[in-house]
Amino acid sequence: MSHHEYSGEEEKQQPQEEGQQQGEDLQARIEEKEQENQELRDKLLRVRADFENYRKQVERNTEELVRRVSDQEVLDLVEVYDSMEAAFRAYRRLEDAQAFVEGMERIFAQLAEMLERKGCRSFCAQGDKFDPTRHEVLIATESPEERDTILEEFERGWCRGERVLRTSKVKASLGPEHKTGGDTHGGNEGKSNRD
Amino acid sequence: MAETKERVIGIDLGTTNSCAAMVRGGRPEIIPNAEGERVTPSVVVFSDGDEVLVGQLAKRQSLLSADRAVLSVKRKMGTDWRFNVSRDGKQEAYTPEQVSAYVLQKIKRDAEDFLGGEVNRAVITVPAYFNNLQRQATKDAGKIAGLEVLRIINEPTAASLAYGLDRQQQEQTILVYDFGGGTFDASILDLGEGVFEVVASDGDTELGGDDIDQRIIDWLVDEFRSETGIDLGQDVAALQRLRDAAEGAKKELSSRMEAKISLPYLTADATGPKHLEKTLTRARLEGMIEDIIQRTMNIVDNTLEAAKKSPEDIHQVVLVGGSTRIPKVQELVSQRFTKGQVNRDINPDEVVALGAAVQAAILAGEMDEVVLLDVTPLTLSIETLGGVATPIIERNTTIPVERSKTFTTAEDYQAQVEIHVVQGERKMAQDNKSLGRFVLSDIPPAPRGTPQIDVTFSINTDGILEVTAKDKGTGKSSSITIKETSRLSQEEIERMRNEAEEHAEEDRRRAEEVEARNEADQLIYTAEKTLSDLGDKVPSAKRGEIETAIRDLKQKLESRAELSSLRSSIDTLKRAAGEVAQAAYSQGGEEAGPGGEQGGDQGGEDQGSDYIDYEKE
Repeated sequence: MSHHEYSGEEEKQQPQEEGQQQGEDLQARIEEKEQENQELRDKLLRVRADFENYRKQVERNTEELVRRVSDQEVLDLVEVYDSMEAAFRAYRRLEDAQAFVEGMERIFAQLAEMLERKGCRSFCAQGDKFDPTRHEVLIATESPEERDTILEEFERGWCRGERVLRTSKVKASLGPEHKTGGDTHGGNEGKSNRD
Repeated sequence: MAETKERVIGIDLGTTNSCAAMVRGGRPEIIPNAEGERVTPSVVVFSDGDEVLVGQLAKRQSLLSADRAVLSVKRKMGTDWRFNVSRDGKQEAYTPEQVSAYVLQKIKRDAEDFLGGEVNRAVITVPAYFNNLQRQATKDAGKIAGLEVLRIINEPTAASLAYGLDRQQQEQTILVYDFGGGTFDASILDLGEGVFEVVASDGDTELGGDDIDQRIIDWLVDEFRSETGIDLGQDVAALQRLRDAAEGAKKELSSRMEAKISLPYLTADATGPKHLEKTLTRARLEGMIEDIIQRTMNIVDNTLEAAKKSPEDIHQVVLVGGSTRIPKVQELVSQRFTKGQVNRDINPDEVVALGAAVQAAILAGEMDEVVLLDVTPLTLSIETLGGVATPIIERNTTIPVERSKTFTTAEDYQAQVEIHVVQGERKMAQDNKSLGRFVLSDIPPAPRGTPQIDVTFSINTDGILEVTAKDKGTGKSSSITIKETSRLSQEEIERMRNEAEEHAEEDRRRAEEVEARNEADQLIYTAEKTLSDLGDKVPSAKRGEIETAIRDLKQKLESRAELSSLRSSIDTLKRAAGEVAQAAYSQGGEEAGPGGEQGGDQGGEDQGSDYIDYEKE
């Protein structure tokens, strides 16, 4: 009986020990995972902070870059300024209008050369067909010319390489007999381009 | 198979211009369009063929194709208005939703190009006064454009979200003052538990920055007429230049007190060319537009009345729209709402789109992962030779962060260095707040400039700073932990920043002087070393010249000579020593140059090494 009891206790005890062992294992694994979790979380925060700091660095670099580039442009302008000042000084001293105009022509050539060096070109639109990537219509009017023909240029356009810096402001032809096709009660009444 | 992250964007679908944004890394950013611009004109032109132009290109030809262009379609949303146009000989009728969809489609396409992935979901903003029909029409426009509209939100709500007002843990009343190019809106919102409710909204759909430009143009035309007798009112080319100049002057007057408007060769008459030369002062502009601004304030009053609130009830004021950059507008608003905090740091042209992007990110579950990270309020530095504060972590750096720099010794056989950690923006260590000191000892005897000591600043998420100094040669290190780096009060931080600004000039001079003295000291050291290393190889005349230069520089260091005088002696010695080194090199003496700067750089921020001040007992 006692023996039986004993063995019974033993039987009971064994799963208990096993359970305890398992519990301890689990506890250890949980702790391990918690630690891992903590480490990953910390890593994530660091990556985020790194990203933020990198973004700030990029912003600073961009600002610096813009400043440097615009400094360079200003320096080029200063050259022209100096030349013009010299021209005025010479004119005040000698009052030689012919020489002054010649000087101005040289300065103008200097400026034109500078713009060309920077890849800037002006373009004349007169007679061209209207192209919204290069032109902006200030007046559209009926005329004997074909529709979309540019009749007059008010302000020339400028581009740098392929990029249009300033559109040319033009008067364009609506063609000889212009028909209104749209609904005039719609969003296209005269002042409707206002917000 | 990797799941690609689908982007959600926020769109401010405006009457004149539209704008898109998205959240990246927890912060909203504007998405530029294909033309590289941050806003897209809400203009659509239908060609006679199958082409549809949208945005800037459409705007440029809107006059030429007046019968084919749709402007301000937003005013038609929710109505049964149709845009009738013949295309390829067929008569077509477009609904406002369809026209808006073209604008949205361009925004979607440009965003996809910019982000390099599909964009299928968006939040779109509408004015607070839009009714259900108008909201539904906006949603339908999105659907036609191929966008799943996650939500339609009010523009004033979006602006408040951009400022993060929803994250402030308190109930608040917000006034949104939206003064754009062509419309004015005032809205009052109640915010409770992160939910915004529009209590009242009022506005004028024909009042905006364009009216201000027109006032300036009218003034210029009048002035020009009285001076020259010429009426520019009919001169399209001149008016175009006036318009650009007026807008430019208006913008300039937001930051300056006067603006020069100079338009040479504006026009000509029988007597010759005529130039326009005018100065517009800020006071004069304010006089010109007083009634316009007053009208906006009257609308604000009406809105307050409708909401049954007084100015004192307003906790937050949010400024939206480019015209709120006008100082007088800001002044009047601040005067009216003395108890309210005026939010105007975010670009007022973009704030609505940015807020829409925040809402989109919240709905897409992207904001949950965003943890707000702290920043260092002030720069953390160590004291280096001559008492200079050498920054390791600059202010406004997001934490957690770790930064290192490599330093070296300032004296021959220096056995220990003291690391003095300071906080603040001043150039000299003594003017900053001292956080702690520690010593790294047992540095093996070596000539100065030889040992390499890595100093690492590491701040964890709790703001605790650990500073470690490590001798690269021996691997021996020493460290200190500082807990109160972020325990400064806001006032203290402000005070320290202001002090730094006040003393910026004098600090810069002092730092420059120390720098020059350090350089002089280093130069004397290397020059003497060169002379002894090269020995007989140096012609005696040259040796004499260098020795004189060294004596001269030493004397100037001792007498604390003026900076310019010190600099000139440094240059003299540099030249003389440099010539000798060069001569020695060309004679084949390989290692004969004056010892260059030693030590690498671990922080990746500056090229040379700094010297930690040697502590004399």
